Amino acid sequence: MSRLFLSVGLAVACALLAFPRACAAVTTGGSKNVDVALVAEGTSIRPGERFRVGLRMKMKKGWHTYWKQPGDAGLPLRVEWTLPPGFTAGPIEWPTPERIPTGNLMSYGYERDVLLAVKMTPPANLDPGPVVIAGQFDWLECRDVCLAGSARLELTLQVRPEHPRPGPAARLFSDARARSPRLPEGWSLASVAGPRAIELSFRPPPGVSPRGGYFFVDRPLVAEHAAPQGFERVSGSYRLTIVPAENAPAPPRRLTGVLVLEGIPRSKGNAVQVSVNATPGDPAPAPAQARHTLPAIPLYAILMVLVSLAFAILARRRAKHP
Amino acid sequence: MIRIAALICLMLLGPSVRANAAAVVGKAAPSFELLDANGEKTQLASFKGKFVVLEWVNFQCPFVGKHYGSRNMQGLQAKYTEKGVVWLSICSSAEGKQGHVSGAEAKALLEEKGAKPTRFLLDPKGIVGKAYGAKTTPHMFVIDPKGVVVYAGGIDDRPSTKLSDVDGAKNYVTAALESAMSGKKVEIAATQPYGCSVKY
Repeated sequence: MSRLFLSVGLAVACALLAFPRACAAVTTGGSKNVDVALVAEGTSIRPGERFRVGLRMKMKKGWHTYWKQPGDAGLPLRVEWTLPPGFTAGPIEWPTPERIPTGNLMSYGYERDVLLAVKMTPPANLDPGPVVIAGQFDWLECRDVCLAGSARLELTLQVRPEHPRPGPAARLFSDARARSPRLPEGWSLASVAGPRAIELSFRPPPGVSPRGGYFFVDRPLVAEHAAPQGFERVSGSYRLTIVPAENAPAPPRRLTGVLVLEGIPRSKGNAVQVSVNATPGDPAPAPAQARHTLPAIPLYAILMVLVSLAFAILARRRAKHP
Repeated sequence: MIRIAALICLMLLGPSVRANAAAVVGKAAPSFELLDANGEKTQLASFKGKFVVLEWVNFQCPFVGKHYGSRNMQGLQAKYTEKGVVWLSICSSAEGKQGHVSGAEAKALLEEKGAKPTRFLLDPKGIVGKAYGAKTTPHMFVIDPKGVVVYAGGIDDRPSTKLSDVDGAKNYVTAALESAMSGKKVEIAATQPYGCSVKY
């Protein structure tokens, strides 16, 4: 219903306010659990000047969609563009994902609203007037069950000579940029990959002291996604270790993905894009970090620690008072 | 005394750092015994000397729907069981979770879909699924006559739910079976499986 209002409202707004200058039409669609809309960042476009469009996905509570590397299960969104002659589309700009644990498996995706932006390059010779950007979007949406979702969406943009102004959806694009990993400017990063662990050692810019971290590996058959990652501070820099995938054919030559730091606000750059050579070696796993919930130390181990402590105290007493 | 106590603590904590259970390519396939849809005990060990395919299944998962809707899976089952391969479909959906089936329900579904696995195995506690590190439906394993895992991963190279993607996809299971059955090395022995998560 809200979708209908939005479409009607936009159509009316376009007709009343912008016509005949026309405005960027928003097309919506989606599935029962995910609302989607194709939106533009600016009010218009210029010949030869890159611009952004994006797919806004609104998940119903409990549902999620996937990052470019979905983790243990799932599927990333795919798009097939139908563009005017001379237009080219860039790759999807994926915001930093969230960890979505289900039982003993780990998925990477989005549980809240997300905007998947794409940079478009129009040709330099382009007549003023409307152009239509269309895309066929296919995705997987999961809660405890998984469903396939798809939509064909169209967006009409106006080619105008003047500089584009931020459109009604511009805020979504700036939010998505803030949620996306940055380039690691001012960082030093290195990786060593071996049979026991894949190590990422890093030194963030001064003033950034993380409590922990998580590395979202973005290639298949590199990591056991559900295995806790190790983290430790080593004289000013940090070591993060990843459990290698059981069936990895060989340790990776390159480590790529997104490093997210814990205890650092997003404004200070808590997420960076990583792509470093991994030199062969045999790094030891760093101490495992607790998961979101309690660490998985079996009850008997805790009990035995307590018993041993009591034993030790008793022994000490007996030593003092023979 | 304190040192001994500390040592005991360490020794007890040690085993709690568990390794990930999984079927590893080049190593022995974890042994198991499960009931099939007819209530018959089925042991992996009893198929020694034959090639075995394990197929993790959940008939309500759209990825499984792709491979049964296109009759891709039924075709593979028929083709290779005729050649003497043992094909075991395993359902690890827990009771109350998506895809869980009783023996009778499984038989009805197999009949409806024209599926011809050698046996359909029920793993509602997820014991075998976890022992193999089965993550998705489908998730495929190929075991050679010596009981060694020679392939683990996805069914093909087109991760999608589209039926039309079956045609022209590179089927890793076919490739592994063809190579292994003619005594050659399996070229691609492991891939990232794609599908719904196994509903443990």
